[in-house]
Amino acid sequence: MAKKKSELIVLCCENSAYLAAESLTDTKIMQSVKVVMLPCSGRVEVGLILKFLENGAAGVLVLGCPLDNCKFVRGNYRAQKRVDVAMKALNDAGVNKDKVKIDFISSLDTHKFIALVKEMKSTLF
Amino acid sequence: MSELKAGSRLERIFEKGEFAITAELGPPKSADVEVIKTKAGYLNGNVDAVNITDNQTAIVRMSSIAAGYLAMQEGLEPIIQITCRDRNRISIQSDVLGAYALGIKNILCLTGDHQKFGNHPNSKNVFDMDSIQLIYMLKQMRDEKIFACGDEIKNSKKAPVVEPKIYIGGAANPFGDPFEFRVIRLAKKVKAGADFIQTQCIYDMDRFEEWMKQVRDRGIHEKVKIMAGVTPLKSVGMAKYMRDSVAGLSVPDYYIDRLSKAEDKAAEGIKICVEQIQKLREMEGIAGVHLMAIEWEKRVPEIVEQAGLLPRPEVNN
Amino acid sequence: MIVGEQKPFEKVYESVKEYKKVLILGCGTCVTVCMAGGEKEVGILASTIRLANKQNGIRMEIQEATVARQCDREFFDEVKDKINWADAVLSMACGVGVQFCSEVFEGKRVLPALNTRFYGTTEQQGIWSERCAGCGDCVLDKFGGICPIARCSKSLLNGPCGGSQDGKCEVDPDNIDCAWQLIYDRMKLLGCLENLEENQVIKDWSAGRDGGPGKIVREDMVL
Repeated sequence: MAKKKSELIVLCCENSAYLAAESLTDTKIMQSVKVVMLPCSGRVEVGLILKFLENGAAGVLVLGCPLDNCKFVRGNYRAQKRVDVAMKALNDAGVNKDKVKIDFISSLDTHKFIALVKEMKSTLF
Repeated sequence: MSELKAGSRLERIFEKGEFAITAELGPPKSADVEVIKTKAGYLNGNVDAVNITDNQTAIVRMSSIAAGYLAMQEGLEPIIQITCRDRNRISIQSDVLGAYALGIKNILCLTGDHQKFGNHPNSKNVFDMDSIQLIYMLKQMRDEKIFACGDEIKNSKKAPVVEPKIYIGGAANPFGDPFEFRVIRLAKKVKAGADFIQTQCIYDMDRFEEWMKQVRDRGIHEKVKIMAGVTPLKSVGMAKYMRDSVAGLSVPDYYIDRLSKAEDKAAEGIKICVEQIQKLREMEGIAGVHLMAIEWEKRVPEIVEQAGLLPRPEVNN
Repeated sequence: MIVGEQKPFEKVYESVKEYKKVLILGCGTCVTVCMAGGEKEVGILASTIRLANKQNGIRMEIQEATVARQCDREFFDEVKDKINWADAVLSMACGVGVQFCSEVFEGKRVLPALNTRFYGTTEQQGIWSERCAGCGDCVLDKFGGICPIARCSKSLLNGPCGGSQDGKCEVDPDNIDCAWQLIYDRMKLLGCLENLEENQVIKDWSAGRDGGPGKIVREDMVL
């Protein structure tokens, strides 16, 4: 099997970030980027983040609703804590913590989505 | 005088109806005997007996029994302390026999500060018993002449019983939580066999009087000799520290005001302490005062004198 | 249940990195409930070790498995092939499981990934606290169902001590409730506060660990 070029995985909350991503017109920015939908950013698991990286992903960006605006009330806070744990595990493993990031955007903020993806890509690639 | 339990000076003072005064001496954090000699020098003749602390705050110091014996050689009557933190029933009973054999007659029974507060927080603690069980164990040794296991205190089947005749003390904290339970716990110590009680240091006389009323209502003051604890305030900083950091301790604002306004804070602190002692002498049910001048032993003579308690009465008859 | 928490990663990694074939073995009972050594945690630890191996250029084959319990012989059957394959088993069970795995598979290197902490309860998801000290002579009937041996920092039977303030224990006021405040409040609620006026006698500690490692034999149950 040909070796796939490593990708940036963007875990998007379907209530906010995913909708922001859907409105993208410029597809160039999505090269080497894979979007995965979550019912809520709070659904993210430490093991999932690590598995992506273990399997060769360049990085994982978790995007949830703005804090205090989560459809499920505290899902994004939970996501933040779990990303912290994942970052600690990466640190333990001697891997750069910057491979994982979490941020919060609204469903209308396509610009912010683009900016965050661009920034992360420049860090990783 | 009724039959004495131990015949210590402290016991005789109480039995004679005199107002007792005791002080405190912390043994050195080394093998330096001079520290004891110096502190004893200030206290000798000015107080009836001196508490010798037992690894207070879980910081290693010379043992209470050894320091107590050395203090005795300097002319003091020691009240050695035993906590439940570091020793089990075997070593405690052994220590009691040893202390008595050395001529020590007063033992204060304490639970002990948790080791996490001291300089060896990683050590194992013991707490084979609590202070109430400790008081009872000592009472059994003295009055029933048996060890905690039930064996008689004698060297062999044919040997005579030689039990330690100890004057047994306990501590009381009138201001700890749960407040309603404090007097009941004191009653438990008296039931266990405490002969005398020393309280933590008091600043809030009104609250203390409330506690004493509950004590008197239960007739506890007639069953045990209660000594109120006092600690002279050296500075405003110390007063605020005690108010803010010591559990259950309240230092009324008027003391802090007086200290702030005074030119010579230390002298004002001594004055306040003397006033407290005088107030306590008037309180029904208080048999004496336990003066804890921590690292300020040299001011003890003037405090006792200004409180009108010198010279100390003669009790050897 | 038995509550444990994971050892720091550096310590676990240090103990396991010399081995070439490692089985990370989880336990499905207590340590799953306290989220320290169940299937999920096995996955996370395995990923972390693999990422670390990649960073350090270490070649190691890792297999993952979780059994219902590691304190009963029968559950090892389903993973015995994996255990035999491994040159070291990194057990995520409590101290009992680690030892028992070691006993059942004589000669097999079994390493602990957890520190066993206490017998406790789930106060709420994510928060566990100690309840029982295994003293061997239960006195919960005397204290309204709250154990002073396990929950009082000094195991006082005639508490409280002077370090009780605002219902907290001075040893760690942020995390430890004063057991004696709890007992006092409970006995008041139960209407038997006067029982606390009784002097509790000194405890016989020989029924617990102080009497030596324990063993119970039920002759009627031994096959």
